[in-house]
Amino acid sequence: MADSKIIMAVPKGRILIEVMEFLRAAGIVPEPDFNDPASRKLRFTTNVDQVDLVRVRSFDVATFVAFGAAQLGVAGSDVLMEFDYPEVYAPIDLGIGKCRLMVAEPSEMVDEDDPRQWSHVRVATKYPNVTRRHFAARGVQAECIKLNGSIELAPRLGLCRRVVDLVQTGDTLRANGLVEIETIAEISSRLVVNRAALKTRPKEIGAWLETFQKVMRGAAA
Amino acid sequence: MPDPGAGDKAAVRRYTPPAMNDDEPSLALLPAGLTDQLPPRAAQEAMVIHHLMATCAGYGYERVKPPLVEFEDSLLAGPGQSLARQTFRLMDPQSQRMMGVRADMTVQVARIAGTRLGSVPRPLRLSYAGSVLRVSGSQLRNDRQFTQAGFELIGTEALAGDAEVVQVAAEALTSLGIKDLSIDLTMPTFVPTICRGLGLSADESEKIRDLLDRKDAAGLEAIGGIAAKTFAPILAAAGEADTGLEKLSALSISGEAELLRAGVASLTEILKTRIPGVALTIDPGEYRGFEYESGTCFTLFAKDVRGELGRGGRYRLQNGEPAVGVSIYLDSIMRALPAPAPEQKIYLPADTPIDAAARLREEGWRTVQGMEPDSDSQASAKALSCTHIFSKGEARLLD
Repeated sequence: MADSKIIMAVPKGRILIEVMEFLRAAGIVPEPDFNDPASRKLRFTTNVDQVDLVRVRSFDVATFVAFGAAQLGVAGSDVLMEFDYPEVYAPIDLGIGKCRLMVAEPSEMVDEDDPRQWSHVRVATKYPNVTRRHFAARGVQAECIKLNGSIELAPRLGLCRRVVDLVQTGDTLRANGLVEIETIAEISSRLVVNRAALKTRPKEIGAWLETFQKVMRGAAA
Repeated sequence: MPDPGAGDKAAVRRYTPPAMNDDEPSLALLPAGLTDQLPPRAAQEAMVIHHLMATCAGYGYERVKPPLVEFEDSLLAGPGQSLARQTFRLMDPQSQRMMGVRADMTVQVARIAGTRLGSVPRPLRLSYAGSVLRVSGSQLRNDRQFTQAGFELIGTEALAGDAEVVQVAAEALTSLGIKDLSIDLTMPTFVPTICRGLGLSADESEKIRDLLDRKDAAGLEAIGGIAAKTFAPILAAAGEADTGLEKLSALSISGEAELLRAGVASLTEILKTRIPGVALTIDPGEYRGFEYESGTCFTLFAKDVRGELGRGGRYRLQNGEPAVGVSIYLDSIMRALPAPAPEQKIYLPADTPIDAAARLREEGWRTVQGMEPDSDSQASAKALSCTHIFSKGEARLLD
């Protein structure tokens, strides 16, 4: 770990294109292998000597950064809320990957349901911690069924009646006969920093944060 | 990062696990967060504790040893409140009162200073080291039992006290061989004080504290208004001490908050000359884990070591007396230190004369006595990981 390079963890998946655009604007361009689907590499150098990239699942970005395996990263605020790592700082809102974390239920349930009378709900979700906290705050015990995808399918197949999931356009929900009944949080991607790294390498990491902030201000202007 | 103890030969030996038996758990299984410390790490930790205690003894700190378990009421009083959820409880069959296993020793030392040693002339300098037990580990440090070592300076409000504590801690850690030490100075009451000055509600203040603590500039901006305008530059001041303090002094703050700022600024000046090799940062927004402290606090980090090595700062005893101290977490320190070099050990075949063995130990050798005459004493010596063997009246290096 005595590695003086700064490692940045970026999330795989749809969001990656936008993240890479942002990094390019900040002057970070990865080696060609990064864009080669056939490459088996997991860690990539960039045009900046001091910065390497690792590509991991979006849920893992926060974990890599929390444990100091990566010093910087890009993680959705949904993931940050779920893990609630005290060692992760989230200084910059990148304004990408915007969506909402929602509670949804089958449309036919909405009319007869009185949320004030709930004492227990069973919810399918990728976010058991957020879900439990959200419901506990209003005195409802949430029994969470952790799924890793296709959450919207759960009510249809009788796994449970409610779901907590990310919603961007709402198309998937509608297609599965679900209605949004409550917003838990507005979500967007954040630039995240490991706490100890920021404390022990304030100059280098601070300089990168400033660069990123400049890019964001430029984008807003 | 090499695993602690990866230097052992055991790590390279292949291990065949015994056949699994689903019904009976293995006797080797320990509860989560509890570990057996093995050679050479157990001895290394003992040496590190000895070194830390010796360093502060050099500055006049005297060791105290509170019990492992005490009444819950005293353990969770005052600054101990924040540990209530981390404390194991048990009922004392004798007194029928609830007891707690200590989750932190600072509270105990504060209790000793305020009661039994209450009439000893001030300032009082106390040190301690011992195991603590917590209900759950943190995300970063899974251990539920770990060794805490530290020292407290009680009964002085002088800035020289803060400086002494930081200096002694830094000296102890650098002399242990911890490289690139870095100290983060914080003032947990700074933000709440400013919030009060702005007339913000308790809810708003708490939200702002959380945002600053997480360095969430976006969230702060979203709040808007006077709060965002006031706290954005405070957030931006987190970083290198010199530049950060410059940014803070450009702000118009007054009263108690200004005193806090001035305190950190003067402490920084003193530390720059006393411990020039140590990097100093400030973080005016940080408060987590410092909820019950007042004045200047600090956290010890080392480059490329995950998590904190220790933390400390100003607080008040139950009777209001001012105190400043530091706690060092041995599990973090052990992660920061390389595995110790293998010991030089000499194998003594069974027929080695007693007085020759005693002479070797006097010379500083660690001897390993053979129990029975062996056909190949070289092989026995190697098997017991000795580096030397006693043969024909002298120590020979094993090949």
